Amino acid sequence: MTSLLDDKEITRELWQSHLPVCFILADEDKNKMSRSESPEPLYLMLARHSYFPCFIEKIHRYYCNYFKNDPNDTTNNMNLANLWLEYESIPLKWHYPIGVLYDLYVSSLSSISSHVPWQIIVHLSKFPEGEIIRFPDKESIEAHFMSTIKEADALKHRGQIIEDMQKRDHQQLWNSLLQDRYDGFWKINNKLMTYTDNLQYFRYIPFRIHILDKPFIHKLFSPFNVEEEKWTTLNDLLQFTLNHEAHCEQIANEKKIFNTNINDYRVIIHGIQPSLQSPVQWLSEHFSYPDNFLHICLIEKRT
Amino acid sequence: MSTNEGNENDSFSVDASNSAANNDEVNTGSVRSGPSNDSEGGSKVVFLLKAAGGAPILKKKKWALPRSKTIGHIVEFLKKYMQLDAQQQQQLFLYVNQAFAPALDTTIGSVNDCFSSEGTLVLHYALTQAWG
Repeated sequence: MTSLLDDKEITRELWQSHLPVCFILADEDKNKMSRSESPEPLYLMLARHSYFPCFIEKIHRYYCNYFKNDPNDTTNNMNLANLWLEYESIPLKWHYPIGVLYDLYVSSLSSISSHVPWQIIVHLSKFPEGEIIRFPDKESIEAHFMSTIKEADALKHRGQIIEDMQKRDHQQLWNSLLQDRYDGFWKINNKLMTYTDNLQYFRYIPFRIHILDKPFIHKLFSPFNVEEEKWTTLNDLLQFTLNHEAHCEQIANEKKIFNTNINDYRVIIHGIQPSLQSPVQWLSEHFSYPDNFLHICLIEKRT
Repeated sequence: MSTNEGNENDSFSVDASNSAANNDEVNTGSVRSGPSNDSEGGSKVVFLLKAAGGAPILKKKKWALPRSKTIGHIVEFLKKYMQLDAQQQQQLFLYVNQAFAPALDTTIGSVNDCFSSEGTLVLHYALTQAWG
């Protein structure tokens, strides 16, 4: 798909978009503080495309200060592995980009009109086993990130491009993300945005549809309709995916079939409501997260 | 692909309770490939599990699970099934296309929709990181 040079600027804008986040310690963990004063909330400006585990040590260190007067604390409250984040009673999944979590949960659940700073509760105990996975080390989140890029490339180019890259190119993708270097990231990422198999588009679009209280949805969808010789749009993608998923649920005899009417949802990518007539190939090249997936949040409109 | 080979009594479930186990049981005869491959439909995903990187080989190759079960569910099941806990073996990795490991909360239904090849989904399991 031909794209104007100016369109590249959109990827830079998205790269630079940040969210102000206010971390507040859970009341039950405040009671265990050895110092008398309660910790002040911690404010951080976080890149939408980043992941919470990249900042977890910083958050952990901050609260450690309030515990250090008592080295004999045997309750092990400050164990990093016990730390988890909550918003409106929902434990936040560490392996989703921060912007996706914000778009999905704040748009769906927030009862107040002002959404920023995003107020997140930090828990140091009572880990919700079974609901989320424990915070891993930085290596695990890097492995997850790379695996997701490989999955995207399997859809776009049968995995040919990522396989042909060298290990140091893989590392440059992740390190550029960590160190906030747009140019370093796109130098490599541009290769992942090329076409193979003599096509002028990706074989399939890597996308995930996030709906509250559902596992994400993921289907095979081509950016070009060969029979009708036209580009497929975001509207086409959503309609196909929702219908297909509803069909699968019907077959599985699930009682609650979800709403397949696109008009009943707000469609959000990167905090923005893009036109439903946008060609998905263009969206995939410009609006994907660094993991190369188009993360589309569907927020059911309140009646 | 309308039947499963052997082991009719094997159930695929990490849940110890009988009722839950019955629910997940491989139902020989009624299992078909996923809806994306079969217009008549079928509520379960049929997939092959293959060992990689020197992992113990399972006798039973073909499995079936409801679409809503996750990759994490399969990982936990395999750890118990192969009694890895007793061997101090903590990790098990599941790979698609011999290339990437989907996140643990990915449903088997969505993996099947995108990565089954000619109606069959193949997953490789390894005890160490085999790819990537």
